[in-house]
Amino acid sequence: MKAFREFWRKLVDVRPGEYLRTFFMSMYLMCVLFAYYILKAVSRALFLDKFDIDKLPYLYVLIAAFGGMLAYFYSKLAARTSLKTAVTTATVFFISTFLVIRWLLGFQMAFTYYLFNIWVSLFSIVAVTQGWLVAANVFNAREAKRVYGLLGLGAVIGAGFGGQFAAWTVFIIGSNNLIVASSVMILLSYVVFRLAIAQPGVTLAGATGGEEEHFSLVDVLSDIRRYKHFQVIIGIIALTYVVDVLVEFQFSAMAKASYKGADLVRFTATFMGIYLNLVNFVFQFFLTGAVVRRFGVGGALQVMPVSIAIASIITYAQPRLLTTAATRLTEAATRYTFNRTGMELLYLPLPAELKNRTKAFVDIFADRFSRGLGGMLLVLLITVLGLPINQVPLVVLVLTICWSVLSWRAQREYVTTVRRRIESRRLDIETARINADDAVMIGLLEQTAAGPNARQTVYALGLLVEVEGYAILPLLRKLARAAEPTVRAKLYEIASRAGAADLLEQAMAEIRSSRAGDNAASIGPAVSYAITVSPESVNLAPRLLNHPNQHVAEAAMRCLLPNAALATRVITPEWLAEASASPDANRRRLAAMGVEARGADELPRLAALLADREPAVVEEALHSAGVIRSRTCLNAAVGLLADPHVRGAAIAALAQYGEMIAGTVSDLMEDSAMPENVRRQLPRVLGRIPSQRAVDMLMRSIGHPDLGVRDAVIRALNRLRERHPELDYGGAPVAERIHAEARYYFELHSAVKPFRTLTGSRSAANLLAYTLDQRLLVTLERLFRLLGLKYPPRQMHAAYLALARGKGDDHSAAIEFLDNLLDRELKRYLLPLLDDAGRMAERGLDLFGIPERNSQEAIRLLLRTGDSWLVSCAIATAQQLGLRGLAGEIRDLASSAGEEVSAVAESALAAWA
Amino acid sequence: MAELNIVEKVIALEAVDLLKNLTPDQLSRVASIAREVKFAPGRAVFEANQRLDALYVILDGAVELHSGDEVMHRAGQNEVLGAWALFDQEPMPVGARTVEDTRLLRIVRDDFYDLLSDNSEITAAIFSTLVRRFRALVGN
Repeated sequence: MKAFREFWRKLVDVRPGEYLRTFFMSMYLMCVLFAYYILKAVSRALFLDKFDIDKLPYLYVLIAAFGGMLAYFYSKLAARTSLKTAVTTATVFFISTFLVIRWLLGFQMAFTYYLFNIWVSLFSIVAVTQGWLVAANVFNAREAKRVYGLLGLGAVIGAGFGGQFAAWTVFIIGSNNLIVASSVMILLSYVVFRLAIAQPGVTLAGATGGEEEHFSLVDVLSDIRRYKHFQVIIGIIALTYVVDVLVEFQFSAMAKASYKGADLVRFTATFMGIYLNLVNFVFQFFLTGAVVRRFGVGGALQVMPVSIAIASIITYAQPRLLTTAATRLTEAATRYTFNRTGMELLYLPLPAELKNRTKAFVDIFADRFSRGLGGMLLVLLITVLGLPINQVPLVVLVLTICWSVLSWRAQREYVTTVRRRIESRRLDIETARINADDAVMIGLLEQTAAGPNARQTVYALGLLVEVEGYAILPLLRKLARAAEPTVRAKLYEIASRAGAADLLEQAMAEIRSSRAGDNAASIGPAVSYAITVSPESVNLAPRLLNHPNQHVAEAAMRCLLPNAALATRVITPEWLAEASASPDANRRRLAAMGVEARGADELPRLAALLADREPAVVEEALHSAGVIRSRTCLNAAVGLLADPHVRGAAIAALAQYGEMIAGTVSDLMEDSAMPENVRRQLPRVLGRIPSQRAVDMLMRSIGHPDLGVRDAVIRALNRLRERHPELDYGGAPVAERIHAEARYYFELHSAVKPFRTLTGSRSAANLLAYTLDQRLLVTLERLFRLLGLKYPPRQMHAAYLALARGKGDDHSAAIEFLDNLLDRELKRYLLPLLDDAGRMAERGLDLFGIPERNSQEAIRLLLRTGDSWLVSCAIATAQQLGLRGLAGEIRDLASSAGEEVSAVAESALAAWA
Repeated sequence: MAELNIVEKVIALEAVDLLKNLTPDQLSRVASIAREVKFAPGRAVFEANQRLDALYVILDGAVELHSGDEVMHRAGQNEVLGAWALFDQEPMPVGARTVEDTRLLRIVRDDFYDLLSDNSEITAAIFSTLVRRFRALVGN
C-alpha cells in the first residue's frame, strides 16, 4: 500500500502550467510505444510464420550487427542536427520505409522479413531514445523528477494497447495492414509532438537530435585487462543478454509450434503487449523494493540467474508453450527490475572515472554484442551441432550457474568495499541512498554502529537514520549507555527527531551531573532532546535556562527560540531584565539571544545589549536585531560595521532586514559623512539581499568615486549574479561603467609609462610605478567583474584567469572567445587593451583622446585623482625628480588635502625650500 | 630630523620580509599604523625573555641583539626586529639595545591585528608569504 501511495504521489504531482505539456508528452510516448508494439509483434510473427525456427538465430545476429550499426550512424547524424529536424526526419523516414516494406512483403521475398525485423529494431532504438530526449527538453530537471512517472505510465499504456490492438485487429485487417496502422500512429505521435513543443515555455532551441557517446574501445579493453572486478561485470552483462536470446528463442519456437498465421500475430502481440508489460509493471513498482529489502542487493543479483535456472529445469522437464512463456516472463521481468538495482552493486567497487568511462561502452556495445553472441551460440548449437531445441534449457541452466558464481564474486567484492568505505567514512551518501534498502548494507551499518570506534558509530547512525522505513529505536536503546559523548549526542539528536522519550531519563541524569563550564559534546543535544520530548517542558525549560553551566543554559535557549509559544512563556520580561543586568557576560549573552523571542516589546533592552562591551553579547544582540527587523536598531547595527570583532554579525543582521533597508543602505553608501570603513562594508550587506531592489541600489553606486566602495559594490553585484541570476543586472549603468573603467585603464597606462624607465629600487618613483602597475591589474579585474554582470560570469572569470596568466595558447583562446562574445562597441575599446600592449598609447589617443605624457604631465594628472595614496606617491616622486614646476599644485595640496598627503607635500616643499 | 611621511614609511616597510607580498596600497595601510620611535644610545628596545608586542624596523642607527652579555648580532639600517613576534606570543630569548642614536618604526601587534581584520587581502598576502617560506623549508 505504501509503495502504491508513493507511486501515486509521484504520478500525480503535476503543477499548474505543466498539465498540457505533461498530457501531450504522455500521449507522444504512448503513440510511439503503441506503434512499436504493433510492429514488434507483427515483424516477429511474420518471420516465425515464414521460416523454420533454425533461421531465428541468424536474425538475432543480423539485428545485433545491422540494427546496432544503423542506430550508431543515426545517432552520429542526429547529434549534428536540431532535435525538431531529427524528429521530423525520423518520422518521414520511418513512415515511408515501413510503407515500402509493407509493399515488399506482398512479394513474399525472404530478405524482406529479415529487413522488416532489423528495421523494427532500429525504430525501437531511434524512436524511444528520441521520445525521452524530447521529454528532457520539454521539462527542466525539477519538473522531470515529478512528471516522468506519468510519462512512463503513458509509455506502458501505449505498449499494452499497441499489443492488444494488434491482437484484436489482425483478423479484421490482416498482418500487413497493421503496418499501415502503426504508420498512422507514428504520424499521430508527430502531431502530438508538435503540440507538445508548441506549449508556452517550451523551446527546443539549441537541442540536438541526439547525444554522441564517447568511449575508446582500446581504453575499455585495457580496463578489462586491468580490473578483475570489471571482468566479472562484463561477464555478468554478457551472460544476461546471451541468456535473454536463448530464452526468447525457446519461447519463439514453442509459439511457432502452437500457432500459425494471424493466430501467431495475435498471440505474440498479446504476450509482448499485455503479459510482458504487465509483469514488468508489477515487478517494477511493487516487488523490487520488497525483494531487495528482504534479500539485499546481493540477493537481488542472484534472483535473476536462480529464477531462470529453476524455470529452465521446469521447461526441460515439461517443454510446453506455458513453461517457455513463464521462463520468458521471468527473464524479462527480473532483467528490467532487479538488474537495474544489481548494476548499482556491480559498479560500486569500481573507481568513479572508470564507471563513467565504461557506461557508454556498456550502453552501446556490450548489449548488442552479447545478443549477437547469443545468436551465434544458437547457430552453433542448433545448426552446427544439431542440438534439439528441447535441450536448450540445459544450456541456459549451465549459463545461469556460471552467472550465479560471478554474481556471488561481485557481491563479495561489494561487501568488502562497503565495509571499507564505512570504516573510512567515505561511503557516498547518494550511492548509499540508492542501496539503503539493501539488507547487507543495513547489517554492515548496524555492525559498525555497535563497534568501538565512536566516529564510525556516529557515521553509521547518520546513514541508518536516513533509511526510509528502518526502525532505529531498538538500536538507540542498545547504544544508549555509550561511553563516548559524541555517540550520545547523535543518539539524542536522532531520538529527538523521532520524538521518542526512551532516552529521557539518561539525558536528565547527564544534565543533572553537569558542572559549570562542562562542555561535553553530548550536553547540548541532551538539553535540546529533554526539552523536546519531556511532557514537563514548561517547567523544565526555565530550570535549564538558569542552569549554572552556561552551555546547558545556552542549549536550552537555542532549543526554545524556534518554539515561539514555549519561548514566550519561559523567556519573560523579568527574566530578560535580570539576565541583561547580570555582571556575568554569559548571562547577558543569553539575554541578547532571548530578546528575539519577545520581539519589538524589548527594543530598549536590545539597544542596550547592542552597546555591550563584550563582542560575544553584541553578536547575539545583532542576531536578534536581524530577526526582529526594527528600524530602531538600524543605526546601531550600521555603526557596528566599523568594529572588526562583530562586523560579520552586523552584516548578517542587516542583510536579514531584507530589501526594506536597501534604500537606506544605498543612501548611507553615498553619504561622505559616514566613516570610510563603514561605507566599504555596506555593499556587502546589499550583496546578501537577494532582491531586484538591492541590485538597483548597488547599480546606483557602481561608479562610486571611492575605489574601495566601488570595488565592494561590484563584488556584491557579482555575488548576487552568481547566486541569483534571475535578477536583472543589465542596462546602461554597467556598459557606462565598463567604458569609464577602460578609459581609466588607458589613463593609468599613459601615467605609468614615464616611470617605467627609471631604475633603482626603494625610491618614490619606483614605488609610484609599482603602484600604478598594481592599479592596472586591479582595474582589469574590475573590468572583468563588470563584464560578468553582462555576460555569463563563469565564462568571464575563466577568460580573466587565462589573460592574467599571460601570453600563451590560453591567452589567445581567451581573446578569441571575447572577440566572438562581446558587443561590437565593447570590443572596440576592450580588445586593444587586452591584446595590443605595444600600441596602447596610440589606441588611448584614438579611442579616448588620451595623449602620451612626460613625467611632469603624468604627475600633474595623478595629483588630481583624489586618490590619497596615489597623490602621496606622485608628490614624493615629484620631489625625487626635482619637478619644481609642480610646486604650486603641491602647495595647494599641503593646505587642502588630508593629514597623510599634507605631510608628504610639506616634506617635498621643505626639501625644495 | 623630521618625522617620516607615509611614502617614506612604505619604502622602509618594503624591507620587511613578512610584508614582501603586499602591494604599495596595502603597505600604505600598514604604514598608517606604524609609529616612529627614537632611542638614545644604550637604551633597551626590548628585554630578553619578555613577550614582544611589536615589530621594529631600523630607520637609522644601530641595535645590538644580545643574550645576557653576549652580543649575537648588530642590526643596522632597514633591518627588522621581531617580525615573527607579531604571530608568536612566546617570550623572545634575546634582548635588543641601541648602540647609537637610533630611529625605528614600531608596529604594535594589536593595531596590526585590527588592520588585518579590516583588510582580509593583507592577511591573504601575509599567509602567502608564510606558505612560500614553509614550502622553501620543506623543499630544503
